[in-house]
Amino acid sequence: MDLYFFVEGPLVWIAFLTFIIGTILRIAFFISRSRRMDLPMYRFLKWKYVFATLLRWLLPINKDMAKNPVFMPLLYIFHICLIAVPVFLSGHLAIWDESRFEWSWPALPDAWANWMTLILLAISIFFFLRRLISADIRLISTFSDYLLIIVTALPFMTGYFLTHGTLESIGFKGDTMYLIHLLSGELMLILIPLTRLSHSVLFFFSRAATGIEFGRRGYSM
Amino acid sequence: MTAPINAQAVMDFLKPRMGARFKTWVNICTHCGMCADTCHFYLANNKNPKMIPSYKVRFLKDILKKKGRVDRAYLEEIYKTVYYECNVCRRCSLYCPFGIDIAYLIYVLRALLNSQGLAPEGLARTVLDYKEFGNQMAITDEEWLETLEWCKEETADELVGLDIPIDKKGAKILYTVNAREPKFYPQDIMEMAKIFHVAGEDWTFPSRKGWDATNLAMFMSDTETAREVASNTFKRAEELEVKQIVVTECGHAYRSLCYEAPLWLGYTPKQPVVHSVELFLDYLKEGRIKLREKLKEPTTVQDPCNIIRNGGLAEKNRLLASMVSEDFRPMKNQGNYNFCCGGGGGAMPMGGEMKKHRLASGKIKAEQIRETGAKIVLVPCHNCIDQIRDLITEYKIDAKAVHFKEVIAEHMVIPKEMTPKED
Ligand code: HEM
Ligand code: SF4
Ligand code: SF4
Repeated sequence: MDLYFFVEGPLVWIAFLTFIIGTILRIAFFISRSRRMDLPMYRFLKWKYVFATLLRWLLPINKDMAKNPVFMPLLYIFHICLIAVPVFLSGHLAIWDESRFEWSWPALPDAWANWMTLILLAISIFFFLRRLISADIRLISTFSDYLLIIVTALPFMTGYFLTHGTLESIGFKGDTMYLIHLLSGELMLILIPLTRLSHSVLFFFSRAATGIEFGRRGYSM
Repeated sequence: MTAPINAQAVMDFLKPRMGARFKTWVNICTHCGMCADTCHFYLANNKNPKMIPSYKVRFLKDILKKKGRVDRAYLEEIYKTVYYECNVCRRCSLYCPFGIDIAYLIYVLRALLNSQGLAPEGLARTVLDYKEFGNQMAITDEEWLETLEWCKEETADELVGLDIPIDKKGAKILYTVNAREPKFYPQDIMEMAKIFHVAGEDWTFPSRKGWDATNLAMFMSDTETAREVASNTFKRAEELEVKQIVVTECGHAYRSLCYEAPLWLGYTPKQPVVHSVELFLDYLKEGRIKLREKLKEPTTVQDPCNIIRNGGLAEKNRLLASMVSEDFRPMKNQGNYNFCCGGGGGAMPMGGEMKKHRLASGKIKAEQIRETGAKIVLVPCHNCIDQIRDLITEYKIDAKAVHFKEVIAEHMVIPKEMTPKED
């Protein structure tokens, strides 16, 4: 079985299944463990505070926006691009449409997707440099923090190269770049449930828990 | 000293405590640094990166990774961090995008240290006293009753009919104090007796264990002792069939009875726990207490972490302060997001070993007070007031710190029938 076939076929399945099942397991583990060991979460559960805290931090209407008026907006933009581009890219949609699922949904205009990719890459570089340069962030950073920024940015970079044929002149022909792009995307999907990138789902549970904890004290945060 | 630590014991202790929340927090902190400049230790120590809240709990992940194989020196390093560099004030928790509760993780580390016999002298001593005497100052029942008797005699000629009821069955309020009051500040008890009398309140002190509402065991995560101390108070409330428990102007006492005791006990006691700030506000609003005059000098009010951020009384505290003042000047960040004074989390009772750390970290509070230009700082907490008084001296601030009860007792209208006849 040649590499190309593997990366385009079985590995896509492996990546998506790892991502989906892994994410579901993350959630299941949190719930089953908390049902045993975090009883106050349930005893004092008030949905009002859960929704309030999720809304406040999913939207830029929280305390950190005023405190960090540069970093926080960038963080929001970063995450919007991170989710919107791969999900709504017309090129990806075409593949879903041709697949056995024949799914389709509205696409982002290509020009937007283009800019959003560049913005995401620029912000990734900024995040990376910030970790390196700021004495504060450098001290608390671990090796994996740097690595995960690269893992996250790589599919976007290779995707950009692929659609623009940027590196063709130095030997990365369309097929090679396609392979690299697929691989990097698959790597990211696999790592989401397995690493700190699981923050994408655990965010909801962690915030809910603390929202309940302060909600008990009569205010939402 | 690098005596080996029993790794199995460390893991056996930690494992049942690492619930879904703690585990998640240890794993998902993205080290974004949003919590850094929310901590007064960080800000007061020239933004020393070692004071970043997220960094202070790095040990937890490390110990779990090492499967508990750490040595004594390592535990001592943890000790310095979790006691000298954190007031468990929870301000950072409000700013973490994931809501990671650093203070909770600090408590887990403090609990681990305690299980290894490492706890601040000043806190460990109180645990023994709580166990033997039911209060943190080793006051015997006889001394307690004598003090109350003496307080009553001292105040009796100031207000006609004044009484300090003891064990009055069916009273509406069971009043509880900080053991520092009978020991060092009996005027606090007298002022409160006067306020109750003028308000026509139906109240009582308990004669036995349970009158000391403080709970310093909480700060070293000694849950067993903390539970015992809190249940003393609820037992008295049960026996005396009171409607509610009122706590003096003490922050952690209120928090421990109102919010933590339900966790320690596993059920929510039926008597509501009320902080003095709430009681005073009701008295003023209902007109049961009227003020002759308000404070004329500019005032500001401290937001003790344990009654505001962790006690939910932000609005009431602010309102009460404005009602007793003509020129009330709130601090920047007044309310839930206010800075800790540096005296919380056990810092005051830790005594000498903590003094230089708390005076240093209190710089932020000192600046906040100075900024308002207030001459009077209203402080509804015992730990805060001791710390703020030290800060006023250390940072040469032209102000004084007072409890609300002092202001109210001094400025309230005394009804004619209670005014002693002069002859
Ligand atoms: C596909 C899912 C996601 C991926 C791959 C992802 C990736 C990342 C990466 C790489 C960082 C690090 C930035 C840095 O190091 O400075 C980051 C940070 C962060 N993400 Fe996500 N994220 C995802 C979803 C989410 C979601 C759904 C949320 C919350 C709603 C979220 C909230 C955050 C926060 C609060 C930070 C902290 C800032 C920081 O670390 O600098 N992420 N994310
Ligand atoms: S703000 Fe939260 S996620 Fe960011 S470093 Fe601090 S604890 Fe970690
Ligand atoms: S002192 Fe307060 S703000 Fe600083 S780390 Fe401790 S809990 Fe967080």
